[in-house]
Amino acid sequence: MLRKILIVGAGQAGLQLALGLQARGYEVTVMSDRTPDEIRAGDVMSTQCMFGTALGHERALGLDLWDATAPRVEGVGVSVAGPDGTRAVDWLGRLDAYGQSVDQRIKMAEWLDLFVARGGGLVVHPVAVSDIEWYGGNFDLVLLAAGKGPLAGMFDRDSLRSPYERPMRSLAVAYVHGLAPRPDRDTGAVQCNLIPGVGELFVIPALTLSGPCDILFFEGVPGGPLDVFQGIRSPQGRLNLTLSLMRQYVPWEYERTTTGVELTDSGATLCGRYAPTVRRPVAQLECGAPVLGVADVVVANDPITGQGSNNAARCAAIYLSAIEERGERPFDRAWMEATFEAYWSSVAPATKWTNAMLSPPPPHVLDLIAAAQSRQPIADRFANGFDEPADFEHWFFDPTKAATYVTTLDGNDA
Amino acid sequence: MDYAGSEPGVAGLHVPPLAVPNQRRSDGTPPITSTKIVVSGGFGVGKTTLVASVSEIEPLTTESVMTVMSESTDRLDGLPDKTTTTVAMDFGRVTLESDLVLYLFGTPGQGRFQFMWDDLVRGAVGAIVMVDTRRVEECFPAIDYFERSGLPFVVAINMFDGSPMYEESDLRDALSLRPETPLIECDARNRRSSAEALAQVVVHALRMVGAR
Amino acid sequence: MVADDGGRGSASRSARVRPYALTQGRTAPGHILFVETLVTTLDCEQGEESALDAGRRDMPEVRAIIVLCRGVRSVAEVSALLNLPLGVVRVLISDLAAQGRISVYQTAGDTGRPDRALLERLLGGLRRL
Ligand SMILES: Cc1cc2nc3c(=O)[nH]c(=O)nc-3n(C[C@H](O)[C@H](O)[C@H](O)COP(=O)(O)OP(=O)(O)OC[C@H]3O[C@@H](n4cnc5c(N)ncnc54)[C@H](O)[C@@H]3O)c2cc1C
Ligand SMILES: Nc1nc2c(ncn2[C@@H]2O[C@H](COP(=O)(O)OP(=O)(O)OP(=O)(O)O)[C@@H](O)[C@H]2O)c(=O)[nH]1
Ligand SMILES: [Mg+2]
Repeated sequence: MLRKILIVGAGQAGLQLALGLQARGYEVTVMSDRTPDEIRAGDVMSTQCMFGTALGHERALGLDLWDATAPRVEGVGVSVAGPDGTRAVDWLGRLDAYGQSVDQRIKMAEWLDLFVARGGGLVVHPVAVSDIEWYGGNFDLVLLAAGKGPLAGMFDRDSLRSPYERPMRSLAVAYVHGLAPRPDRDTGAVQCNLIPGVGELFVIPALTLSGPCDILFFEGVPGGPLDVFQGIRSPQGRLNLTLSLMRQYVPWEYERTTTGVELTDSGATLCGRYAPTVRRPVAQLECGAPVLGVADVVVANDPITGQGSNNAARCAAIYLSAIEERGERPFDRAWMEATFEAYWSSVAPATKWTNAMLSPPPPHVLDLIAAAQSRQPIADRFANGFDEPADFEHWFFDPTKAATYVTTLDGNDA
Repeated sequence: MDYAGSEPGVAGLHVPPLAVPNQRRSDGTPPITSTKIVVSGGFGVGKTTLVASVSEIEPLTTESVMTVMSESTDRLDGLPDKTTTTVAMDFGRVTLESDLVLYLFGTPGQGRFQFMWDDLVRGAVGAIVMVDTRRVEECFPAIDYFERSGLPFVVAINMFDGSPMYEESDLRDALSLRPETPLIECDARNRRSSAEALAQVVVHALRMVGAR
Repeated sequence: MVADDGGRGSASRSARVRPYALTQGRTAPGHILFVETLVTTLDCEQGEESALDAGRRDMPEVRAIIVLCRGVRSVAEVSALLNLPLGVVRVLISDLAAQGRISVYQTAGDTGRPDRALLERLLGGLRRL
């Protein structure tokens, strides 16, 4: 029996799920507020770095179309700014499996084209609440995968799982060509520059419309010296501000720009902020039909740890198998709650870690970061936590476990 | 014949379908082309009046219930609480040649409705931004939006009784218009004046086609 | 093509869903339904009566669209006249188009912005009003 599924939102989770369901013979309709061409011509949406596990989910569906062309992220570098433009800490952890960042404008446009070419139903329409009321009763399953936009407001905030009520960082992204490589490194890496009390600068190698590039991504503590992008609308103005802030706060990264960097295209910047929010997974329509929230709609974390796309890929994979396992039985509220809980248990560690990184680090975390300077296993373990955040539970959050871990390492070394 | 009137659930609406040419295409349907112009601006500025004065049918309305965000117009912003609002978009229709029909869509110009604008602007000839000189700032979001989207648009001053008169150059300054953006006056209640305002949109669109 | 659902008379929800659910071999729609996109019901060989008849198990919304669009109508008109949300109308018309029951017209903006020739015709038309 052919089951009809509607997916609202053509992002990482919505399209990965749509293509997966389509390959399994479901009749899938995707509603997107933009056409593939409009997505390509629009602004960047993320820095979208994905690690081994998430890339594996894409590969399993044959959707890893940029594996050969996107720069590989082989490690995660961490620097902590000290006084006077120095670095108190500077190390590189190696990833067991490489990560990659493919501009969502490329990926989503291509995936959407692929979905349509394979016979999928695409309806281009900015979905409003009034539309959804009707869909609920007319599809076997309605999935809301519209990201952090206004539609997420249909789902109640889960205050127990959402420790923050306000945005914890202001975000400013610029995609550039011409960034010089780090003189001391031969591998591609995501570079995390931590500026205590002020914010972070991430530098991420990526593939964009015009080829390989680097993304400069400032996260600023609200009200602080990096929270100054509001009202600056011109892309060049945003880049100029990014560069001058780099010069002041992370001069070692600014050095890499002095040979001349330029924006990759006119849509290469993004600024804004949002409150990290976990929502209840099911929205009840007036007609009584339930709608299931997907990925960012229900679990939106701050991008400080680069987990959102990774979580979205996990969500699509988990929902895909749950839908298949359901067979002919109805997609009722109980099934939706259970399906979401499976997703939540896979991303609760990433959520916990991300929320932790948004607050000033406790002393034992500072100690760990410092200890990694002379202990490569700590650096490597931290880096691989981006792929498998559940591991942080065993050594990162708890001061006793952290101390035990470092002691064990040192014992082995001795 | 009035098909709509005989429809259950739409009693009271007598909106005839398009008058169509006699020729037929290969699938048996008549040849006909449609296009649209968007009419935007602040609340109560005369959008519906302009649409009605040109339209061959009573303006129709489609409504969307949307969740709304608190203050910001930024796609990234979060949502503190659930609020919904109904946005009405009204439109009219005018058959310009037997096989060419123009739709006019009137849409509120407030920043938070930008959500719907992308949909309206897709494929449009251009737009009119209507301005009431007593409340010029209300049209800023619309002007920003159309400048950014690259859609050809003209700014039309709709004169109300008691509206202050300004020099064109002062108005251009107050609106921070780009030099190439036409600024015109119109009386939305007057069919000729409204049609001429629409014609100016087309003239400007032609200019932009030439410039490409 | 509308396959038999085999489930007539079952729970009202599934009865509502199925006839429209079973459009196998959907053709890629390939057209965007703009608000101004015109659509019209395709006459069946057997004439209008059986066009409706064949869709006896259609949802009421689908029947209403089929009847309304015997004349040429825009997507926005269908939404306004049937008092259906625009998003619903787009889904239903996409499906009807895939089933070959409704013809969807190209609009002047299908390839981006209307071209010069069309703009000139528009200008002429507006100046004649
Ligand atoms: C600045 C920034 C940097 C980030 N960096 C990273 C990173 O390095 N690594 C990482 O893993 N994650 C990162 N993220 C997070 C990541 O981008 C998101 O978590 C991820 O894209 C979520 O996927 P999604 O499918 O849930 O939603 P989205 O990718 O947001 O997709 C939602 C889609 O729905 C569409 N839509 C919205 N509303 C409607 C509507 N009403 N009707 C129709 N369509 C609609 C949107 O246009 C969009 O296409 C970052 C996010 C930001 C903002
Ligand atoms: N004096 C004068 N009054 C006008 C003019 N245009 C509109 N009005 C009046 O202004 C009022 C508002 O006009 P509408 O056309 O409803 O304005 P709108 O922009 O559609 O309003 P909303 O849809 O509510 O935002 C009506 O009472 C009109 O009669 C004009 O050119 N001159
Ligand atoms: Mg009005």
